[in-house]
Amino acid sequence: MPQKNIDFGKFGARGIKGSDAVARKLDELAGGIATPVTVRRGWIARLHYLTRTDHARTAARNAGLTVTDRTLKAWLEGKRAPSKANLERIDAAYRVVRRQNVARHLLKRLNREGRGTRVEIHPLDQSQVPRPLQRVVEYRSLNVRRWDRIVGAWATGDHQGLEAAWDDTIVDLGSQWGQYEYVTNVGFAA
Amino acid sequence: MSDFDAIDSLLAAVGPEAELPSPQIRQELRERARLSKAQVARALGVSPSTVAAWESGRDPAGEIRTKYAYLLDGLAAKFATGTASATPSAVEPAVAPTPATTDTPPALPSSPMPEEPEEDGDDDEVEALAAPEPCVLCGHPAGQRVAGFVQHLAPADCRPATAGNPAAVPAPPAVKPVQATKPTAARTSPTTTRPPERSHGPARRAFQEPSGPGDLIGQAVKAALAEHHGDVEAATAVLLKRAIPDAMRLLDETRKGARYDVIAHPWIPDILKKQTSRGADQIWEARPKWTRHELPPGKHEVTALDINGAYLSALKTHLPLGQLEHSTGLPHDRRRAGVHLITPPAWEHEDVLPNPIGNRDEPGPLWVTEPTLRLLLRLSGPKYGLCAPPEIHESYTSGATENLLEKFRIALKDARDAAIAEGDEVTLEYVKAMYSKFVSTMGESNYNRELYRPDWMHIIRSQAFSNLWLKALKAHDEGLTVVRAMGTDELHVIGDWHRVFPEGRGVTEVKVKDTYTAGTDIDDSTGEEQE
Repeated sequence: MPQKNIDFGKFGARGIKGSDAVARKLDELAGGIATPVTVRRGWIARLHYLTRTDHARTAARNAGLTVTDRTLKAWLEGKRAPSKANLERIDAAYRVVRRQNVARHLLKRLNREGRGTRVEIHPLDQSQVPRPLQRVVEYRSLNVRRWDRIVGAWATGDHQGLEAAWDDTIVDLGSQWGQYEYVTNVGFAA
Repeated sequence: MSDFDAIDSLLAAVGPEAELPSPQIRQELRERARLSKAQVARALGVSPSTVAAWESGRDPAGEIRTKYAYLLDGLAAKFATGTASATPSAVEPAVAPTPATTDTPPALPSSPMPEEPEEDGDDDEVEALAAPEPCVLCGHPAGQRVAGFVQHLAPADCRPATAGNPAAVPAPPAVKPVQATKPTAARTSPTTTRPPERSHGPARRAFQEPSGPGDLIGQAVKAALAEHHGDVEAATAVLLKRAIPDAMRLLDETRKGARYDVIAHPWIPDILKKQTSRGADQIWEARPKWTRHELPPGKHEVTALDINGAYLSALKTHLPLGQLEHSTGLPHDRRRAGVHLITPPAWEHEDVLPNPIGNRDEPGPLWVTEPTLRLLLRLSGPKYGLCAPPEIHESYTSGATENLLEKFRIALKDARDAAIAEGDEVTLEYVKAMYSKFVSTMGESNYNRELYRPDWMHIIRSQAFSNLWLKALKAHDEGLTVVRAMGTDELHVIGDWHRVFPEGRGVTEVKVKDTYTAGTDIDDSTGEEQE
């Protein structure tokens, strides 16, 4: 990065990585089961999602839910309940599979046949930075036309890929783009 | 000697005052030019209420008076040239604009003194125009502008439109000396620095194309009706389905060229986030839900009034523009808006008027929005003195404006008024769906993902409630008995409400929902309302 972002937060600035904000927003747009996995209703709903078809079962297995079919059957019939470690695995697998399933649809909506989506970038929070060190960082917005790399990296859970893809996108902000590596929020609709 | 200089300058300043037309004419001129009081006030450097006072009889004095006279004169000239009847008055501002030389009343078409233009030559500048504009004297295209008025420099070029007008004869000598002194300057520096009092003068166009969203609503209705071959029900159903995206499009159109961006996805503090997917957030909108405990003894005719378009009117409110910023322990700043954690004051008028914060069961501090806080502050002020001021603990605010949705609101209101006048039910339903759905989905709704402003949603709703509360107060102050204030638009009163609220379907009027009798006969003193 061209800016002094290596030791972010040293002087009290607050924010999150822009790519994290994008991933958060995409997760929000992807939606899904709201009930937490710790509740029976929550993990049962996730298991149903992961075992509805053979395709889903394969995807779940690839995503790390490596339990036998017998165990899955016992869980679904209510004879046994997953352990804490397995609950986490179920949740992780659910998130991965959900992302993969939604990605294609989300990508289509974001690209909007090439017209792209307007993205608002809300700058980092400098309220805790000493006055002399504060800098003018404005609210910016830009139209992102190609979301393929961003959504692709998000769907595969590739953090570094998403970061690279996002950085390549915000270069379009101009010479000040380095100031927007950390943000309070990235907003867009799909 | 300096003393004498000062006296001389004083003497120079004392002169006959510029003559002003009568107050009615002042207002008429301004309104014909479609200028608002605020626009005029800004140009003259006074407040809009001052302009209002001038238009109702008061007279400005001094330099301001001269400027005002100049403006009115300019406007009069515009209209005069529009009808091509009083050409000389169009020349007047060019020859007598400066304070020192207004010894002749500018409103009268007088023949100017020969030395007058010489003095004016110092102030008038000739601008070369890139594109020829119609000359104020003859209407033919001219390439120069003198003191803000496009005109021909040589009288030979200037062929008056009304050739037989004898009054046009004294005009050319007034312009001629200017031409003699200035053209060289104009050629060398076409962009001369203008004196500040001219910068907002008639050089700006008095008549501008109305900038607005056009007739998006009318077009949509027409298209839907054409598509369904005039089937009103089908067209209405289709339009209602499209109401949210159409409202967003209308909003985009109305914000074109505006000062502020609509920021749709700011960071939202946790208090504005829903706790669960179906739950509510922590904001208290102060919805009134109040019924009078005891009616005055006797039987009464109660009228249930309905406020028209409550949410439409509530779009005019102080909306925070950007991201909400946290602050603690600061007094209220009226240039900012947002949500505030307050301890509400005690309310001692519960038996006659609803509590302005609604009927809250829990005691203690609560998060309220800007309109509620402003209402409380207003009621605690010296004018009303109805309660103690609220105590503000924390705030999430941002710089605010009342005009963010103003064009949007006016576009909808105009469409609504037109639809009511024409009895056009399709448009009426469509407009209603547009504003109500716009308000209800601008928060965290999946039906409208273009706009994620739960703060706006709460603020607009609270504004509607606050407006209703103020109507209740008005009814109470005018001697009506307020029986119930409920929801956004329901107000039940006893008494002759016609002298307080006009009846009708406009947004400033009320309509009658129901009338019923309540209370008991005189002999039974424990009157209880029957629904």
